[in-house]
Amino acid sequence: MDMDTLGRPADFLLVEDNPGDVRLTQEALKSHKVKNNLHVVIDGEEAIAFLRKQGKYKDAPRPDIILLDLNLPKKDGREVLAEIKSDPRLKAIPVVVITSSEAEQDIIKSYNLNANCYVTKPVNFDQFIKVVQSINDFWLTIVKLPSGIE
Amino acid sequence: MNNFDIPLEPETYTRTDLAKLQIFEKVLKGNVEAIIITDTHGNIEWVNNTFTLLTGHSKADVLGKNLYFLFADGQNAYSELCPKLNETNHQQVESWMHRKDGSEFSVELTLSAVRSDADMITHHVLEFSDNTEFHHAREELVRRTKELSRSNQELEQFAYVASHDLQEPLRMVASYTQLIAQRYQGKLDADADEFIGYAVDGATRMQAIINDLLVLSRVGTRNTAFALVDSKAALDKALANLRLVIGETDAKIICGSLPTLNADGSQFIQLFQNLIGNALKFRGDRSPCVEIGAERQDEEWVFYVRDNGIGIAPEYFERIFLMFQRLHSKREYPGTGIGLTICKKIVERHGGRIWLASEQGKGTTFYFSIPVSLS
Repeated sequence: MDMDTLGRPADFLLVEDNPGDVRLTQEALKSHKVKNNLHVVIDGEEAIAFLRKQGKYKDAPRPDIILLDLNLPKKDGREVLAEIKSDPRLKAIPVVVITSSEAEQDIIKSYNLNANCYVTKPVNFDQFIKVVQSINDFWLTIVKLPSGIE
Repeated sequence: MNNFDIPLEPETYTRTDLAKLQIFEKVLKGNVEAIIITDTHGNIEWVNNTFTLLTGHSKADVLGKNLYFLFADGQNAYSELCPKLNETNHQQVESWMHRKDGSEFSVELTLSAVRSDADMITHHVLEFSDNTEFHHAREELVRRTKELSRSNQELEQFAYVASHDLQEPLRMVASYTQLIAQRYQGKLDADADEFIGYAVDGATRMQAIINDLLVLSRVGTRNTAFALVDSKAALDKALANLRLVIGETDAKIICGSLPTLNADGSQFIQLFQNLIGNALKFRGDRSPCVEIGAERQDEEWVFYVRDNGIGIAPEYFERIFLMFQRLHSKREYPGTGIGLTICKKIVERHGGRIWLASEQGKGTTFYFSIPVSLS
């Protein structure tokens, strides 16, 4: 199942304020055979600007998947999720909430806000690699993605 | 003089009857509650001694006056209750009254009607007692409950924040030491590998402990009200959560009849899940057989979870309920040692007890009791 359903490198948008986690995600994706583009924004406002192609992001690509951390400075991840999923131009983009919280209320809230799925960051790095790669494999090779609605 | 029935025929009063009437009067005068007798418009015809004691007004002060002046501004329990006397003969309410010195006090008030033989109301009787102390006690209770609730919320927030915020630095430590190990594999010596191994192991264990503390803290702080719970349904849910282990160990589960009772449903699931999970984990060589049931004993339901596992030596019966106490090394059996602590906290929150009987090599039975009537 190496064949990417997109037929081109995928664009990931990672919304993550912790540089340690950003680097881990990069390392995890690097080790994967299929090369993808990882775009990183460090808070919720930047995320929305990127998605709406505002300001410095006017030439930003439309991401094929969004990896969203819940705990972000300024605009909180839950708010970002709500905004994405209520915007008709953005809500079709799969959002994977990837966060360290195992708290049930966060899980429920995320699903209620229409996150496509919820993943907790494991302590073990090998598992973290597996998680990121599974996301990659599942969403980009197994799953059918909507063709970009601009 | 042991017959208190007075014939009340005008011509037949005797000295004995008079003596009886005098006793009646003494009883009423000295009654623990204040008594006011009024006409049907509230004009005072008689008051007892306790009335004077509570209000400071002498009998002479109030005779003939309308009792409205006794009630604190804006409150007229008497005029509110009067119309209702036609439905029932007794009406009870809490109210506030004025003393002669102007001070107010809280009362529990009963209004009743005296009826003639023709069933017409001829008099009103007000009885009241000072319930200031009760009032204060109740206010104190409300205040303390609010305080407790606030404190619990704070604690839960603290536990959540502490565990949540601790996990992130933990992950950094564990993940990056592993990355180092991977990236520099072969370029580092065997010692380095070992050191990194310990570091990562420590971080992983810390995460498990933090999660457990969070679960434990939630038993006490995230309280849902008790409701009717079908304990069989709770058990089924717990078994569903354990179905992987049940399948892997080829376990046999036997269920006796289980009652419906007042409890916290999700905590009951957790309780069953922990006990049965343990029964399956500490199974020894045999394939596990777990029996669950309950028996009514006086005012309690006594549940049992019986297994055929490795058993527990009596000297450890108390220790196993302590936080993070384990009887085996991690290599023998996994776990942080918080499962039974959580069970105990749940059971005690329900007002029950938890205990066990066991024989090493044969098996263990955990018992827990839940009172039938729970507030």
